[in-house]
Amino acid sequence: MTAAAAVRSNDSLRLRGRSFMAFVLAPALPITEWLAQFDKWCRNSPNFFAGKPIILDLAGVTLARPEIAELITLLAARGVRIMGLEGAQPDQISPPLPPLLQGGRELPAMTSDGGALRPKEPNSLLIETPIRSGQSIAFPAGDVIVLGSVSSGAEIVAGGSIHVYGALRGRAMAGSTGNTRARIFCSRNEAELVSIDGYYRTAEQMDAHLRGRPTQCRLQDRVLSIAALE
Amino acid sequence: MAKVLVVTSGKGGVGKTTSTAALGAALAQAGQKVAVIDFDVGLRNLDLVMGAERRVVFDLINVVQGVARLSQALIRDKRLETLWLLPASQTRDKDALTEAGIASIIREMRGKFDWIICDSPAGIERGATLAMRFADAAVIVTNPEVSSVRDSDRIIGLLDSKTEKAEKGERIDKHILITRFDPNRATRGEMLRIEDVLEILSTPLLGVIPESEEVLRASNIGSPVTLNNAASAPARAYFDAASRLRGEDIPVTIYSERKRFLEKLFGRAA
Amino acid sequence: MSILNLFRRRGTAPVARERLQILLSYERSTRGQSDLLGILREEILAALGKHIQVDQDNIVMRMDRGATLSTLEIEILIPHAGIMLAAS
Repeated sequence: MTAAAAVRSNDSLRLRGRSFMAFVLAPALPITEWLAQFDKWCRNSPNFFAGKPIILDLAGVTLARPEIAELITLLAARGVRIMGLEGAQPDQISPPLPPLLQGGRELPAMTSDGGALRPKEPNSLLIETPIRSGQSIAFPAGDVIVLGSVSSGAEIVAGGSIHVYGALRGRAMAGSTGNTRARIFCSRNEAELVSIDGYYRTAEQMDAHLRGRPTQCRLQDRVLSIAALE
Repeated sequence: MAKVLVVTSGKGGVGKTTSTAALGAALAQAGQKVAVIDFDVGLRNLDLVMGAERRVVFDLINVVQGVARLSQALIRDKRLETLWLLPASQTRDKDALTEAGIASIIREMRGKFDWIICDSPAGIERGATLAMRFADAAVIVTNPEVSSVRDSDRIIGLLDSKTEKAEKGERIDKHILITRFDPNRATRGEMLRIEDVLEILSTPLLGVIPESEEVLRASNIGSPVTLNNAASAPARAYFDAASRLRGEDIPVTIYSERKRFLEKLFGRAA
Repeated sequence: MSILNLFRRRGTAPVARERLQILLSYERSTRGQSDLLGILREEILAALGKHIQVDQDNIVMRMDRGATLSTLEIEILIPHAGIMLAAS
């Protein structure tokens, strides 16, 4: 039995533009200290970076090409995959380094409409079921509201505020896109970690009297404050 | 038309296989036609708990690969004529279990049984996700212990996203079956209370199976606990759970072992 | 015989030990070997096929492994219409 030869139609190659959201890591000198801090962060939030696209912003450091490559290798060993670079000179960047990206914008997300860019309307994501261990909700466009509990081992990353009408037992990271006015509210604080605009606190660092109670987290002068809600 | 039930947990060693056998035998004793399927690959256990280990000829993977027909692989229980077992393969690798193969087997079985109970392996890999893939309902076996509860929660998340029903936007009925419950340790505050487990998992309770030596005895003999000693505390709890699966509304009783006759006679302290 | 013996249930561990001995000796001996039953069935089908047409569905194989003796039961359903006269 002979197989018929496959006939391929002659379609042209399609190349399109699309925008994605990625997290940006901005190292600072000295690199060894920055890496130590990074490792500390990772101990509290293991697997946070797994599978996430990360951009490395080199604007705050002056690194030679081999040093950039070295840093990327060190991060890869920690499970961080760098998919692009920002803030570096074009002549520093060539394969096998990740491509140089330009024109990155702070979110909230912009939508493109016939070429003109307009800011999106303020947005919120409402979830009416509990969030289970292992689930991860990312909503950079605005607030996340959960009607239910957030289990230990679950995480919520919001560009705006996070409101949990239930027990917060997982990780809540608000203001992820640089919004220092974002807050975190929950009916019952049993959180593993809370963070606003990258300033974080883990369960161990929280006052015992705040555990199990309705609480509010906010950022004041770059200090994360957690207080009971009355 | 059958109801496909997955017995799962995430955590290993909490009582999935024991519960599959016990519930299967309880339903069969109520006159239902029941098939239990072992989804573990490489570590076969359900046949041992059911006492059929000496009669395994063909297994699930043989059927998936077309080496044997379903009717040739199904083993009928010697004690309950409406209870059948489809054993797991002991020697093949996980990739031999395909979704299409399982789909076809379940389809063929739906017309022949009232209940198809899928005994899931531990973990969240292939065997576990395939066991839940075609389920209409799920029993999540949980010990009142922190890592078991956390793993059960993870599994519930998967049930709501990785099953065919969930992908179609339909609800899959989920129930928590608490096993190895020790009422003394719970009252002393050394064991998570049932209310705590249910509150954390936000899922209704199917039943509470007390810790008991009867489970070990039954597995030693190779008989489901609901068949080996139907009057024992865990068996009674399993019978109640099986009735609840069939829609009966029975209030949950925490059964405890009755004092052994001899101890009563001779006044030995419990 | 003391009254205690009447009430004491036989420990189940000896039963478990016996079952495991039978089962594991079988599994150890077949480990690494290819599927004996599958091979047997193919060869039996092939042998039958020379004289009779038999569908795979009509062959049922049942097994019961014992400590010293195992029983393999093969049931073949032969429809009368399937018998071909062999060439003499």
